[in-house]
Amino acid sequence: MTMAATSHDTPVETAAPSTRRQPDRTYWLLAPGVLWMLLFLVAPILMMVYVSFWTQTTFKIEPTLTLKSWITFFSSDTYLGALWTTVRIWLIVLVSTLLVGYPAALFVGLFVKNKTLSTALLVLCVIPFWTSFLIRVLAWRPMLGKEGAINMILMKLGIVTQPIEVLLFSELSVIIGMTQIYCVFMVGPIAFMLGRIDPSVIEAAQDLGASFWRIFRTIILPLSMPGVVVGAIFVSVMVLGEFATSAALSGRKVNLLGNIIVTQVGSLKWAFAAVAGVVLTILMGAVVAALLRVVDLRKEL
Amino acid sequence: MNASGIKLGLGLYTTLFIVFLYGPLVVLAILSFQTGPEGGPQFPIIEWSTYWYKHLFGLTPPSRIAPLPIEQALVRSLALAVMTMIVSTVLGVTAAQAFRKKFRGSGVVFYLIVLGMMVPGVLVGLGMALVANTLGVDRHWWGTAFVLHVVYTFPFAFLVMLAIFNRFDPSVEEAAWSLGVTPARTFRKITFPLIFPGVLSAMLFAFTLSYDEFSRTLFASGRDLTLPLAIYGTFSVEVHPNVFAFGVLTTLFSFALLGTYAVLMGLSVRRAKRMAIQEEA
Repeated sequence: MTMAATSHDTPVETAAPSTRRQPDRTYWLLAPGVLWMLLFLVAPILMMVYVSFWTQTTFKIEPTLTLKSWITFFSSDTYLGALWTTVRIWLIVLVSTLLVGYPAALFVGLFVKNKTLSTALLVLCVIPFWTSFLIRVLAWRPMLGKEGAINMILMKLGIVTQPIEVLLFSELSVIIGMTQIYCVFMVGPIAFMLGRIDPSVIEAAQDLGASFWRIFRTIILPLSMPGVVVGAIFVSVMVLGEFATSAALSGRKVNLLGNIIVTQVGSLKWAFAAVAGVVLTILMGAVVAALLRVVDLRKEL
Repeated sequence: MNASGIKLGLGLYTTLFIVFLYGPLVVLAILSFQTGPEGGPQFPIIEWSTYWYKHLFGLTPPSRIAPLPIEQALVRSLALAVMTMIVSTVLGVTAAQAFRKKFRGSGVVFYLIVLGMMVPGVLVGLGMALVANTLGVDRHWWGTAFVLHVVYTFPFAFLVMLAIFNRFDPSVEEAAWSLGVTPARTFRKITFPLIFPGVLSAMLFAFTLSYDEFSRTLFASGRDLTLPLAIYGTFSVEVHPNVFAFGVLTTLFSFALLGTYAVLMGLSVRRAKRMAIQEEA
């Protein structure tokens, strides 16, 4: 009975409980997940690095090692331009999600004393995350267009007489769209860290006569930094790997590295796509490594 | 905080922030009731109608606007999401179970798993397409795309379960064992009820993320479209309100999932409370 029951509990375990060796059990439990990640995550990434050195002919790639694709990438204005656009959009969106998200997180995490209300607000912020990403991107088209909702409201209010055309199919629309979609990932971690601040610390500072700005600068901001960094990691990784928002909202004016990869794959230029992929991986790795120097992600979770 | 002015200001800001989050979706929902087929995806609403919803289900006379290819795509997306949900949750629970004991190399394994949710779809998708090309394997939504969906959602399930196990007192299990309860019964009566909220959350994460996933699918699936791919296909052409109608329906579906999740969680919390009261009595 015990034998059968044990094997039911952990199917991979066949030894009787008395002779069970813990390390073995741990490794058996880990094996499926680790194997899956090695085969379907690590191997594809390594393959991408490998293929970036293959020889690209018109429609095929051949496993003859060459640096040609790399040289093409770094001597082409299109590719370098895409790299620069990616970095620029990433920086702008990172700053704008922080600026837009921090005050909301401050309110939800620190100012709302009622636990139910603060949870409800946080849930309200997170709900869009569960709905279709593509639909949320697409929803900006009727907002920002020449005949869109924002232009209509601005004209009704008499703020502008001509519709603002730069709102849609421009870099601005991509930035607005990305800020809205990704600021949730800033608000969550920051509000979480702010919620952990002991209120008596702030009260003590108040009793000693500190102004709000002083309290913010010396207590709130430093204690919320791990949240800011975790949020920044989320936002950075997602924005750097983006291509759908720019495809939907820029009218092909904004080409990120992700867009380059999609187009190159579409025209079967696998080696060029792989080079762009490796460049993107290196960029992302550098950004995350820099941010991780500030905070230990595993300790915060 | 004495600064009630600041609190008021931040409250107002947060209201605006929520309008910013939901505004576009509300506008999209309003425009989905535009008249058709001549009404475009913008204001003003010429006439309120459900034309585009009927268009979605092929109930309107043929017009110059092609219907969205959603019928087959819906079946594929749901099947893919269910497959992903099952495999991710099982992998997540087993891996997190392993992490309850300290072991050598746990840091490396932790980062390896978390990497799955961090690496952008465009990279892992491209890599998988290259692997499939080299091995001469055909790309399919149920094959190459499915394994990538698990790579993406398994870390979420893992982290959720890790958080649950961190708060889980192993002495409860040990007490059951030492009282001679079989491990299977212990798992059913003690372990599972305690981890159930986590399992439910992991399933919700895996299902929704897979259902909406498209960058991995774009590279790793073959000719057959899933729902997000069908939507992505409309990006390059003129957008008609039928896409908006579809957006409303898929958003309602996501809300229904969230609602089911909330109800099940509520039931599980109530059950836990009842058990606690029984214990006290």
